[in-house]
Amino acid sequence: METLDKDLALAQAQVAFSLKKVKKTFEDAQGNEVEVIKDITLDVRESEFISIVGPSGCGKTTMFNIISNLLPPTSGDIVHRKMNYKRVGTNIGYMLQRDLLFPWRTILENVVLGLEIEGIPADIRKHKALEYLQKYGLADFAGAYPHTLSGGMRQRVALIRTLITDPDIILLDEPFSALDYQTRLVLEEEIVSILRESGKTVVLITHDIGEAIAMSDRVAVMTQRPTSVKKVYDVGLARKHGSCLKARNDPLYSKFFDAIWADLDIQIGR
Amino acid sequence: MSTATHSVSIPATVSPVKAIAVKAQVKKRKPFHWKNSFWIANLLRIGMIAAVLVAWQIAADQGAINAFLMGSPAGIYKEAVRLIDTGQLWQDTYATVEATLIGFLVGSLSGAFCGLLLWCFPYVARILDPFFVALNGLPKIALAPMIIIWFGSGMLSKVALAFVATFIVSLLSAYQGTHQIDSSLVNLMRSLGATKRLIFLKLVIPSTLPWIIASFRLNIGFALIAEIGGEFIASDKGLGRMIFVSGNLFNLNAVWVGIMMLMVVAVVLYVIVSKIEKNILPWNSK
Repeated sequence: METLDKDLALAQAQVAFSLKKVKKTFEDAQGNEVEVIKDITLDVRESEFISIVGPSGCGKTTMFNIISNLLPPTSGDIVHRKMNYKRVGTNIGYMLQRDLLFPWRTILENVVLGLEIEGIPADIRKHKALEYLQKYGLADFAGAYPHTLSGGMRQRVALIRTLITDPDIILLDEPFSALDYQTRLVLEEEIVSILRESGKTVVLITHDIGEAIAMSDRVAVMTQRPTSVKKVYDVGLARKHGSCLKARNDPLYSKFFDAIWADLDIQIGR
Repeated sequence: MSTATHSVSIPATVSPVKAIAVKAQVKKRKPFHWKNSFWIANLLRIGMIAAVLVAWQIAADQGAINAFLMGSPAGIYKEAVRLIDTGQLWQDTYATVEATLIGFLVGSLSGAFCGLLLWCFPYVARILDPFFVALNGLPKIALAPMIIIWFGSGMLSKVALAFVATFIVSLLSAYQGTHQIDSSLVNLMRSLGATKRLIFLKLVIPSTLPWIIASFRLNIGFALIAEIGGEFIASDKGLGRMIFVSGNLFNLNAVWVGIMMLMVVAVVLYVIVSKIEKNILPWNSK
């Protein structure tokens, strides 16, 4: 894996990582090749919040698995600026739709999972976890089991578990889609501010156009399967207003919404 | 942003107070209903047993049923007192429990262990799978004559039988448990940099534990069946032998004593496993 430092132009553009002609095919049960990702070429900039919006089943999650090195691409490259690929995902935090908390672990034990895997001593990781739980208002629940928490709280715990290993890049795979609307708005706001404050590069997959516009600096619209990048919008409403809720009231919000909706070309069945 | 954090943390700090208030209210309002009473339910149970015993005794006294072929509560009581006095009942119970427990523990634990290990070797698992299915379907008691030839009529053959009866059940249960693990959880572990060893220790084992414990609960029954079956065929002590020999001598009262003692043993073992389950799986008890 080459690093971007060698590629002068990209290094100057402050690109966190870039996908170059990434292609992925799977074999189906009959042994036919199925092309899921045709060609994704995309530069993700340092400290930006970029959303990937696409029709359902367009291979967004496959793309995430490729970025986080859980799946190898069939062809093409992922070039990271300061990524060190000694271990899978060391510098990438991954947060999914479901919180994926281990039911047999308390909140504290769930939060320290990443540190535990890295082999950090128990007292240090406990200290760090308590600090994070305190910061995000979950300290009272350190000893509780996940099933006693609400969906929003559990998702917040999952975010802390992702942040505590201090990854450079955070991938969010529809992290809000299982939550009710209010919780969703609160968490969107919270996550954007947490991530901005920490200067992380964030990639969000979502099928919710509104969410993508409200949270992102840029929105990449994908085509139907086999997937490629259709268009990239410079949105930046959340950064401009410093709030996702206010971003939703911006007059540009509905303009972006209509444009992306048209790009997605969703056929509504009758 | 702090506003959002606040709006969430406030209900959290308020809720304990609220919960107590609500609880107190509910307690006051809740009307007594006899169907919810623990004591009435137990009284009914005891009443049912007493009614059956009384009816049985009267029927035997009146000659409506043949006490020689059915036994009678008074006869069972006399027989139980005799067996307790001579110490034979304890000896037999001890022999049965000992062999059952050893076979059950060794069989269930090693079965669960092998089932978990199969997760590490999916190809081996795939090759062996049909054998497991065949062995699982086989009534293990059919192996008893052979096992008694190999291991003699003493305790060892009973332990071996209980082992055979429980091993495959735990193995298959643990193995199937590992298949229920959400692949997203495995991906999560991998994305955090976990090696296969760490995934096994921190994800596979704990998430399969409920399956393993469930197989233990089944296995108590299977181990007892194998044990009693083995004692029927060849043995020098044990509750199974006592029931078998007494039955051959038409001492039905002693047969009943043996059956009742077995029931007590089964319930006690079951309760122990349930207690262990609650301690090992605290997150499961909601």
